[in-house]
Amino acid sequence: MQDVRMRIGTATLLTLVAFFSLPGAVGVFVWWLLFTTRFKEIKRIRMVSGTLLLVAAAAVMISWTGGDGLSYLVRMIAIILIGIWLYSEQEKGEFLHLGVWLFGNRTGFEIGMIAEMGIQMAESLAADLDRIHMAMTIKGQKWGVTTLVPAGLILVSDALIRAQGTAELMAVRGFYNGGSLCPKFSHKRSDLISGVAAIAVGFLVFIPVSEFLILYR
Amino acid sequence: MKLHFNAVRANRGDWSLAAQGTFCEGMHLVSGDVGSGKSTLALMIAGLFSPTVGSIVSDGISSKMISMQFPEYHVTGLTVAEECRSWGLDSDPILSGINLNHKRDVAPLTLSRGELKRLHLACVLAKKYDLLLLDEPFSSLDAREKERLCEILSQRTGGITILFTHEQTCFPQVDHIWEIQQGELFDRGEMPEALTRWMHAPTLIKKIISSGKILKNISPSDLQEAVCRT
Repeated sequence: MQDVRMRIGTATLLTLVAFFSLPGAVGVFVWWLLFTTRFKEIKRIRMVSGTLLLVAAAAVMISWTGGDGLSYLVRMIAIILIGIWLYSEQEKGEFLHLGVWLFGNRTGFEIGMIAEMGIQMAESLAADLDRIHMAMTIKGQKWGVTTLVPAGLILVSDALIRAQGTAELMAVRGFYNGGSLCPKFSHKRSDLISGVAAIAVGFLVFIPVSEFLILYR
Repeated sequence: MKLHFNAVRANRGDWSLAAQGTFCEGMHLVSGDVGSGKSTLALMIAGLFSPTVGSIVSDGISSKMISMQFPEYHVTGLTVAEECRSWGLDSDPILSGINLNHKRDVAPLTLSRGELKRLHLACVLAKKYDLLLLDEPFSSLDAREKERLCEILSQRTGGITILFTHEQTCFPQVDHIWEIQQGELFDRGEMPEALTRWMHAPTLIKKIISSGKILKNISPSDLQEAVCRT
């Protein structure tokens, strides 16, 4: 789905649908199977597997305390799949266009720019983490719980230094506030079909279709 | 102690690098343009990047170390002193040797790139390794530090040391020259014969050779001696 407005709208709708009911989660899963490239999209498998492990642990806890852990697990997996799709379809600069389209050249530009910087920072952090892991391997240190705290602190410190550098560079280049951008969006016909399909999934879950059919009879 | 490259090829998209040959004990210089594949080759030898085909076999090498081009890639300590300790070293002699004792409690990433490189190289060179890989060790160093590093490396004995660099002004005494050209590693041979076959030789070295003077090696003192010779 090329149009970021449609993609975010679709993802929000499908997330709500999956979160509020088990049939909704199943519907979202079917939508994901039909309209995405599925597991080919996963950019960072470790991040996904880590999130799945956390969700599975929470589901076990819910079941153990008498709740419906299975329902939680299925709903959360559907949400994670939508998250993966949303992240993998993301293109550089599109949040800037979205921000300006939503809130104009001043506030919208700044919100969009912050979103873009945030995504860029998240990608840098993942690369930095890989480098720290490599550095520890070179030094013969073991990767474990005790090394996670210093690694996390280095990541944060590195991120702050980088952010300061970016801020200084922007100030030097004369940035004060806002910006000027003519937002552009492109979409394909298939985007419309998948968007309508997402709305249909929402209708099926939130509108009691079965009761409507009984009344009709 | 030997390091064998058996029909090694590394592919990264359209880019590829082929390597064949044996590195024996001594100081090896691998030169090549920026982006030619020097860092990839260093990472492959260190076991941090797998060749697409072929194999790298080490013979009699029990310890190895790689110094990557960017010193910040090695940082795992929260302070300069802690960074020294993360290499298994006593921080006091290391920091005194590079005049950074006054910065022992600051975060390594707040040091200038040159200071961080000095700290990193001091930690790497404080121990003896059978195989030492130095990827662009001269980058971020000033002329004085480059000369100091050349002296330290020239005094290094035993083991295999491989220097990956596109440096043009300062070298330690080397035993063997290799060159990466058009995606392939070429063995230019032992010193001093290798100098005549070295395509990427710095201009000064080429001029000295073309003037008919014989160069024994490429360290600053060797170059000075050859230039001053009548």
